[in-house]
Amino acid sequence: MLKLIREVLKVGQATLPYPFAPVELAPGFRGKPEYDPQQCIACAVCTIACPPNALTMHTDLEQGVRTWSLFYGRCIFCARCEEVCPTGAIRLGHDFELASFSREDLTVRAEFRLAACNLCGAYFASAKELEHVLALLDQAGLPPEDAADRKALLRACPECRRKTDLPRVKPLIQEAFNGRV
Amino acid sequence: MLLTEEKPKIGQKYVDALRQQFGWSILEEAWQAPDQVTVTVELNSLPSVVETLYYQHGGWLSVVAGNDERPINGHFALYYVLSVEGNEQTPQHEREKCYLVVRSLIPPRQMEFPAVTPRVPAAIWYEREVRDMFGLQPIGLPDERRLVLPDDWPEGLYPLRKDSMDYRYRPEPTTEDETYEFIDVEGEGIVQVPLGPLHITSDEPGHFRLYVDGEYIVDADYRLFYVHRGMEKLAETRMTYDQVTFLADRICGICGYAHNVAYSTSIERALGIAVPERAQYIRTILLEVERLHSHLLNLGLACHFVGFDTGFMQFFRVREKAMKMAELLTGTRKTYGMNLIGGVRRDILKEERVQTLQWIQELRREVNELVAMLLDTPNIVQRTQDIGRLEPKVARDYSPVGPTLRGSGFARDIRVIHPYCAYDRVPWTLTYKDGCDVLARTLIRADEFFESLSVVERCLDTMPEGPVLTEGFRYKPYAYALGYVEAPRGEDIHWSMLGDNQKLYRWRCRASSYNNWPPLRYMLRGNTISDAPLIVASIDPCYSCTERVTVVDVRKKKAQVVPYKELERYCIEKKDSPIKG
Repeated sequence: MLKLIREVLKVGQATLPYPFAPVELAPGFRGKPEYDPQQCIACAVCTIACPPNALTMHTDLEQGVRTWSLFYGRCIFCARCEEVCPTGAIRLGHDFELASFSREDLTVRAEFRLAACNLCGAYFASAKELEHVLALLDQAGLPPEDAADRKALLRACPECRRKTDLPRVKPLIQEAFNGRV
Repeated sequence: MLLTEEKPKIGQKYVDALRQQFGWSILEEAWQAPDQVTVTVELNSLPSVVETLYYQHGGWLSVVAGNDERPINGHFALYYVLSVEGNEQTPQHEREKCYLVVRSLIPPRQMEFPAVTPRVPAAIWYEREVRDMFGLQPIGLPDERRLVLPDDWPEGLYPLRKDSMDYRYRPEPTTEDETYEFIDVEGEGIVQVPLGPLHITSDEPGHFRLYVDGEYIVDADYRLFYVHRGMEKLAETRMTYDQVTFLADRICGICGYAHNVAYSTSIERALGIAVPERAQYIRTILLEVERLHSHLLNLGLACHFVGFDTGFMQFFRVREKAMKMAELLTGTRKTYGMNLIGGVRRDILKEERVQTLQWIQELRREVNELVAMLLDTPNIVQRTQDIGRLEPKVARDYSPVGPTLRGSGFARDIRVIHPYCAYDRVPWTLTYKDGCDVLARTLIRADEFFESLSVVERCLDTMPEGPVLTEGFRYKPYAYALGYVEAPRGEDIHWSMLGDNQKLYRWRCRASSYNNWPPLRYMLRGNTISDAPLIVASIDPCYSCTERVTVVDVRKKKAQVVPYKELERYCIEKKDSPIKG
């Protein structure tokens, strides 16, 4: 009993003054995801990886708008979005105090323009994602005519791409099958 | 972990013995790993095969998985997973230890199978669950009540059948009342004491009914699964393989990482993925960090239930260091979100290693003092010795796991029997005691705490350099295997079958407490009701908390409601019985 009293006296106060003073967090602490819409290309990779469906993407093909949204109410701070993001647009910070009176405070949204197909005019992909891919092609060091060819192809929607591509590959296929097609 | 043909197959001799004894009833054998085999047997010999393995070859029932394989082979399937460890006549060093899965196919027009429970009591909950989830009737099962499905669930709706329902569907309740029938114990002066539906030790629901004669418990019955979350269905229909690791974390608020490792290893084993050495060590370290905070919590609760609340506060103060350790190593206080299929997501850096080693030394010193103080408390031994006895015979019949089993004289720990991660590469000692009582189980947890500290230390000292994640493998449809982990409360086991659409075809996850609940009834018998909370806490159950207690006097047909707080107070103070007068 005496030992216990000695221990209790030795330890003193163990409770922290939180929330009146901040708590000390480990350097690698995973807090709330911080989103940078400037960096985001709306490619939707994070929405596929997100285990609790906190990240969602809605594509409106009529209006040509893609809405990215993050609902912190569902977020489990796992950092899968940070891990898979190709442009570093989302990173986990240290903030974990999310209590709020309004559900809206827990939602982050960003809207992105869609690119229209240069042949049929239908919306098909995020404009920023397309720019990103075109810029990557510039970096790839392809011969100029080859690069121009591919860029033209990328500006078309998948449907038009198929249609324009078929006549071009037809001779190749015929060659492969010795003209039996 | 890579499966190659040349490796010797551990457990072949059990399969050969079965073939010899049952001849043509043994239809097929398939190896998932060098120490993991699935044997398909003819349905009628299922009970005999399971019984032979269980009692003649030293088998323990780990889990039973039902599976709707109609889209694959036109049948329903049952998988009885046994850890076969050799009988007592075999010399210790010759006992081969493997997981032997007994599989039987049930044609859809038949929809019934001979129950194993009359031969092996450990199967009781599993067969009740298979009936609830798939509508497969176990013929000869003595208990006809539902286990998992609520009483107001519609007849004939079996959630885990592939063609039954969407995971978001919530049928209308069919009745307003709770219709669950508790067992009937009759006799002169027997009184029923219902605890729940909101129950002892943790804040989750479960309905207990104690049958008492005066102060003594004659028998007990319980209804659990009030908060069944349908995780298996959710994983099978909505989530990808990597996403399920994050769901597995959330099976338990304490041993989440153990479930995560069990799930990940089941997939890795099914696909033959070699997990990097360093990742194996990191997993081992984190599993032990989890054991640290879990055991400190239970030791704290042991103090609380014998009325030593200062000790409870002190254990929780020290426990905070284990939580900080988890935060440092994983980025969250709960060792969550660390695994992907193929390894771990975060390495352990030098500063983190140094800090962890320092905290380990502090923890060792502080907990040493606290445990000494706990044992010096005059009433701890008096309150826990010979209380809540789990007789070795009952333990053998019901396959309980973890400290609950090791307290009854069985040296059975999955880390030793089926080593996974890095447990076979660092030296450590297994603790078991033969007191069979609450005291033995508490002391085992104290010993294991210090052993965990040593394991973390040794892993940090000896872990090899290198990558922590294997990538670039392909998923094979319908491959299946087991994953297992010795969580703080005992073996967590996952049986996973991959699908053909980047989703699991079937995921059966079994938490350790599932195997510890059925024998609890025998542990309560013969004790006074003031010891009931203490006994339930000694298995460290994963769910349930009693909100209030109703005392029913069968002879007078009179019910009396006692708040749970009152029963807890009675457990702590041992005076002024709430059911007197």
